[in-house]
Amino acid sequence: MAGENALTTIDGDKKQYIVVKIGSEQYGIDISYIDNIVRMQSITRVPKAQEYFNGIINLRGEVLPVMSIRKRMGLQEDEFNNNTRIIILKIEDRGGLGIIVDQVKEVVELGPNEIDNYSPETKDERGDFIRGIGKNNNQLISLLDLYAIIDDKEGM
Amino acid sequence: MDVSQYLEIFIDETSEHIQNLSDCIMSLEQEPDNKDTINEIFRAAHSLKGMAGTMGFKRMQRLTHDMENVFQEVRSDKIKVNSAMIDILFQCLDAIEAYLDTVKETSSEGTEENEAIVNSLNAILNGGNPEEAAPASGEAPAEAAKEETAEEEEGFPMKFLKEPLSDEGKEALAAKESAGSKVYGMTVYIDKNCLLKSARAFLVFKAVEDLGNIIYYNPTSQDIEDEKFEFDFTIFVESEHEFEELAEAAKTVSEIEEVVGKQITMSDFDKPAEAAKDEKKEEASAPAAPAAPAPAPAAKPAQAAAKGGKGGKGGKAASTNKPVTSRTVRVDIEKLDTLMNQVSELIIAKNSIVSISNTEGDGTHSQSFAEQIEYLERITTSLHESVMKARMVPIESVVNKFPRMIRDLSKTLKKPMDLVMTGEDTELDRTVVDQIGDPLQHLLRNSADHGLEAPDVRVQRGKPETGRIFLNAYQEGNNVIIEVGDDGNGIDTQAVKEKAVERGIVTAEQAESLSQKEIIDFLFMPSFSMAKKISDISGRGVGLDVVKSNIEALGGDVEVKTTLGEGSKFIVRLPLTLAIIQALMVEIEDEKYAIPLGSIQNIENIEVDEVKYVQAKEVITVRGSVYPLIRLDEILDVERKDPEAEKNKTSLTVVIVRKGDNFAGLVVDKLMGQQEIVIKSMGDYINNNKMISGATILGDGEVALILDANTLM
Repeated sequence: MAGENALTTIDGDKKQYIVVKIGSEQYGIDISYIDNIVRMQSITRVPKAQEYFNGIINLRGEVLPVMSIRKRMGLQEDEFNNNTRIIILKIEDRGGLGIIVDQVKEVVELGPNEIDNYSPETKDERGDFIRGIGKNNNQLISLLDLYAIIDDKEGM
Repeated sequence: MDVSQYLEIFIDETSEHIQNLSDCIMSLEQEPDNKDTINEIFRAAHSLKGMAGTMGFKRMQRLTHDMENVFQEVRSDKIKVNSAMIDILFQCLDAIEAYLDTVKETSSEGTEENEAIVNSLNAILNGGNPEEAAPASGEAPAEAAKEETAEEEEGFPMKFLKEPLSDEGKEALAAKESAGSKVYGMTVYIDKNCLLKSARAFLVFKAVEDLGNIIYYNPTSQDIEDEKFEFDFTIFVESEHEFEELAEAAKTVSEIEEVVGKQITMSDFDKPAEAAKDEKKEEASAPAAPAAPAPAPAAKPAQAAAKGGKGGKGGKAASTNKPVTSRTVRVDIEKLDTLMNQVSELIIAKNSIVSISNTEGDGTHSQSFAEQIEYLERITTSLHESVMKARMVPIESVVNKFPRMIRDLSKTLKKPMDLVMTGEDTELDRTVVDQIGDPLQHLLRNSADHGLEAPDVRVQRGKPETGRIFLNAYQEGNNVIIEVGDDGNGIDTQAVKEKAVERGIVTAEQAESLSQKEIIDFLFMPSFSMAKKISDISGRGVGLDVVKSNIEALGGDVEVKTTLGEGSKFIVRLPLTLAIIQALMVEIEDEKYAIPLGSIQNIENIEVDEVKYVQAKEVITVRGSVYPLIRLDEILDVERKDPEAEKNKTSLTVVIVRKGDNFAGLVVDKLMGQQEIVIKSMGDYINNNKMISGATILGDGEVALILDANTLM
């Protein structure tokens, strides 16, 4: 965390994002919300949970729920392979939460002028979770709105 | 003087005094002439005044001062206690509590003057009628005896002359005497407003030691450290100086009110003393005692007492046959939480060693390895129990405010009622105790307002006019049960049913087929109030549903028993501990689940053809009792790899679980054995349907879910 602070002070308003692959697209996750990235491990199913929760895992003695970001976005679940990772998020005072992504690619730095607002022409499930589009060396990165992802509209 | 470091002590002690006062005033209302109670109140009010004064809380001091004055008059029989006065005293207490709350939040007492209360107190003082209160002559001598300890008594008796000296003490005294040195006895009186009397006492010790040699003192250093003494103590000192010099030295310590004493000889003690035979011989070690703990009180008196107690000297003093009352240390609850977490980790680690030793038990492990593991298991289990016990506090701290509440309710509702409580010493985990107050309060208010009938109705029904409300607490297995109820009207299930239909919750036809329990469950639904008129006390429809959700959040549940016309009883069941439990591990297909051992009645093997149907539901009969069958694989949506094999099974493993008087049989595939499990929360992201009360980490690192047997039924 200290390293990140040091970098942000040097680069002004720039923020670091971890670029992950989900399906064929690239998504960026604000690094300040990421606690850890772990390999796929055995997940215990929780009966009657929301459909997009795969279950819970044991992360060094702590029990954390794990969500399939694919299912959350209405995509088909993919086979887990060697590239599959669980990204552990720590969002303010709510507990930890894992999200399963197909692959973790790299870390990029984006300043405010490299991010476009995202205005979806077609409202689909995927669009609800995107906060903006980042441009980095000719590639487009959809920045995930983590609050929208954890915010459970159908729940309770 | 910077008093901020004493703020915490002040808050703790003030709360204690307020509770004490409240209890006493309650009993005073019952027996207005009880001298002991009056004295107790006087003392508590006085201590409050002293503490408030020391902390510089002038308004609080003024209020308590006036309160004390009133009791001064009551004590000397100039004023009679009456109901109006009790009311004002309770207002006083509320005001003091309000000050205390302000102090807690802002570290200052606020600006509320409470003029009205002070005026009423003064009115009582001025209106006191001496003729009315003819003092009962029989009580006068007893009263006089008590006066001795009270502060208005200006005399400072030479208590040291009455000192029961042990043989050793006498020998020491005799030895000094024969050696030709002068021995003085002195009794030092500390100001009664003194906040840190042990610190003052040790300063006196130090001052006196500069001039002489302390050969004896009472109370023991242990008691002085623990502040277990009144406002005086006695020391015998050998010195070449005159007594006046010694007294002068002692008086330089602040907050010392008076020092009395004189030179003593053996002849002063030449009467048979019932000797504390192992009374310590302190000449040699005495100098060490005051020196060690003296700086400590400044830091933190409570802890210093504990630390001092561990020192060799403290231990020696404690071994004299003085009655040893409870010796306690105040510990931050966070520290206990950390400790509990560490114990949890240890148990998980232990479980994984056990699981490794089981899976790799190919003869490489010797017998002694197995023995050591067993030993480790015993240690972790008892360690867990000890930590759990350290976290347990009696529910007293919560329930002791209820008598006062019922009294007030009785006045506002104009219904005479009594609260009978039992089992206040029942212990629960601290976190549970902290949160159980509100639900219980709701239930009691409910009983007072809805439960009990108006007095005239009660008389018509042939019941005593005074309603009875009870709160019983006791332990049952791994649970603590708290029953709250009354001998009032009971729940009119017919009326509840009508209300439910009226609200459109059920149709009239559905309502007819509801069981009594299902009807009562309506009461726990949000905004379902049965009160005909809304009152301050209850009837806004927030209440029972909040009670239920609060108690469920603590892992407990509520049950209701009621008989129309005879009363109702709410049974609150709470887990003894929140963190670690014994559980039976079961397997369904390849999923593992834990069932808390506390809810398991027994385990049966049932042939498939013994399963019968009642109202299209599966039931089994075991030794004459009928149990409904719950197929865990179905309600937990377990995917069967081989559904055909499932159908062809000839026998079922059934775990019979119990909740109160209800039973159910859970069908599982395989039993894996009993295990100590650490309950972990799953966080609040996953909506589960309450069937799962938490998760636990198994020895092999896998996560298993804990089934809540109560909600499965």
